[in-house]
Amino acid sequence: MVLDNLGTSLKDALRKIANSGKIDKEVIDEVVKDIQRAMIQADVNVKLVMKLSSTIKNRALTEAPPAGMNSKEHVLRIVYTELVNIVGKATPVALQSQTIMMVGLQGSGKTTTSAKIARYFARKGLKPAVICADTYRPGAYDQLKQLCDKLGVGFYGEAGNKDAVAIVRNGLKEMAKYDVKIVDTAGRHALETDLIQEMKDIYGLTKFDHKLLVLDAAIGQQASEQARAFNDAIGITGVVITKLDGTAKGGGALSAVSDTNTSIAFIGVGETPDDMERFDPDGFISRLLGM
Amino acid sequence: VLSEKDLEGPLWELEMALLESDVALPVAESIIKRVKEDLTGQHKKFLRSTGDLAEDALRDSIASILNTNALDFDDFVRKSNRPVVITFIGVNGAGKTTTIAKLGERLKEQGYGVVIAAGDTFRAGAIEQLEKHADRLGIKMIKHAQGADPAAVIYDAVQFAKNNKKDIVLADTAGRLHTNINLMEQLRKINRVVKPDLVIFVDEAIAGNDAVERAKLFNDAVPVSGTILTKADADAKGGAAISIAHITGKPILFLGVGQEYKDLKKFETDWFVDRLFER
Ligand SMILES: Nc1nc2c(ncn2[C@@H]2O[C@H](COP(=O)(O)OP(=O)(O)OP(=O)(O)O)[C@@H](O)[C@H]2O)c(=O)[nH]1
Ligand SMILES: Nc1nc2c(ncn2[C@@H]2O[C@H](COP(=O)(O)OP(=O)(O)OP(=O)(O)O)[C@@H](O)[C@H]2O)c(=O)[nH]1
Ligand SMILES: [K+]
Ligand SMILES: [Mg+2]
Ligand SMILES: [Mg+2]
Repeated sequence: MVLDNLGTSLKDALRKIANSGKIDKEVIDEVVKDIQRAMIQADVNVKLVMKLSSTIKNRALTEAPPAGMNSKEHVLRIVYTELVNIVGKATPVALQSQTIMMVGLQGSGKTTTSAKIARYFARKGLKPAVICADTYRPGAYDQLKQLCDKLGVGFYGEAGNKDAVAIVRNGLKEMAKYDVKIVDTAGRHALETDLIQEMKDIYGLTKFDHKLLVLDAAIGQQASEQARAFNDAIGITGVVITKLDGTAKGGGALSAVSDTNTSIAFIGVGETPDDMERFDPDGFISRLLGM
Repeated sequence: VLSEKDLEGPLWELEMALLESDVALPVAESIIKRVKEDLTGQHKKFLRSTGDLAEDALRDSIASILNTNALDFDDFVRKSNRPVVITFIGVNGAGKTTTIAKLGERLKEQGYGVVIAAGDTFRAGAIEQLEKHADRLGIKMIKHAQGADPAAVIYDAVQFAKNNKKDIVLADTAGRLHTNINLMEQLRKINRVVKPDLVIFVDEAIAGNDAVERAKLFNDAVPVSGTILTKADADAKGGAAISIAHITGKPILFLGVGQEYKDLKKFETDWFVDRLFER
């Protein structure tokens, strides 16, 4: 349970309540301030932090703790339920034939994650193939092909062709016999209008079952704005947080799912194709608050 | 006379603005604390609002962080013994390889003989990526096979530069997270073997609080000479620049402002601070 592995700073803050005997406004202010700092340091959007902390404060001051629950547990429970409200459960990913589109900012980990997801389905007994729609980044084709060859999963790409939309159209036809088709796209951000249009054109080719936004765990305050732009363009169905094997807390992903009304599907915890896990809300929330 | 109480409101607003610009929390707090100490007890200048005074003081404080140990890259390259060896280090996907290509183009245009070292021998497609840039730019690249010792590749590139009277070696390295002890040790080894003239830390303008953590651990492993911040075109305010300069005590040299070779901009403190404060 998340309450057991909260970080020490937060635990210290909450001990203040436990020791003070009763909950008064001053103690709650202090604890909420500590929670605010934890969330800001985790890169949760500053406005969202302010909104959340005022909700938490109001609830802590007005709701009586359920019978048998001390005040410390009460505040913790409020914080936890508010965060669970936002992150929800892991995005459902059915173990069946489907088409998945990977999108995100430059260098966030789309290509690596495409291979990881192919590996994930292959281990579940399905036949995956990855299509390389990145015609911009030098070596993008080689990177993905090497990853797929090593894993023994299907690969489709056209090294000389600069038309990503045509490649995906051909690739979907060519790889029709594979169960799961994963389209790896070039990195782009909200202000690159030509690239956003290209992404929409790829999106228009077929009915994608998933459009996953790949976000670096270290992304800061831009996460909301970027996620909204991707969502407006193609309607994302879930988020993948990468590079959680470092020290970044992934608060940007919390802002992103809050702003796009989606959830988190997978997390990346290393560079190799096996370094991916299904999203676990409890673990994520404790990391977020743990400082 | 300005009291702590007068300053509370304006400073709180400025701190929020810093946080929304991705200045890491501990760095923002330490800057605001210093501004508060500087201003408290000062006589309020005629006709200036407390908010304006606080903002000016904050600008000065940020500028002084960004201007510490200023290093003129062009000047350094011009004056150093040949070949000038420059390594590029940083976390995964920050933009090291692309930045090397951009700088390669820039230095070539300035008339220097440039060699690139394919020091990322780990990631799939890394050598091919750098090689395509090198071919496009007409720059010699030294490579070994995938999986080879990066220190050996870079060493060879330096020998090549010496034997062929090249001016500059730009050495790529694999992306790594600062928590990976073995890979951080590998960076130390590269430093011992090739003794670079400059170690450039590459990070991205879209990074948040983690910028502090990684800047610290990279700088602890191999003292960095300066930072290049990429992806500044992505609408981010780039407060990471302040976090990193604060932690490393070293300047920001360039900003990456796009994916093309020309998209490399010399870092100018005034321009950056103006942009930070524009609402
Ligand atoms: N440590 C770690 N590294 C990762 C993870 N996911 C991806 N990477 C690394 O991050 C870097 C960028 O990954 P890519 O898959 O190339 O990212 P991308 O989004 O496809 O990049 P572009 O196509 O250029 O936009 C590479 O060095 C990857 O090995 C992760 O979960 N942990
Ligand atoms: N928009 C934008 N994209 C950039 C910039 N710099 C690099 N990129 C993109 O970011 C992605 C990653 O860049 P790389 O140069 O491969 O990053 P890296 O640090 O070498 O990555 P690894 O070797 O995998 O650790 C690529 O898609 C680049 O085109 C920039 O200034 N602006
Ligand atoms: K959505
Ligand atoms: Mg890619
Ligand atoms: Mg690289």
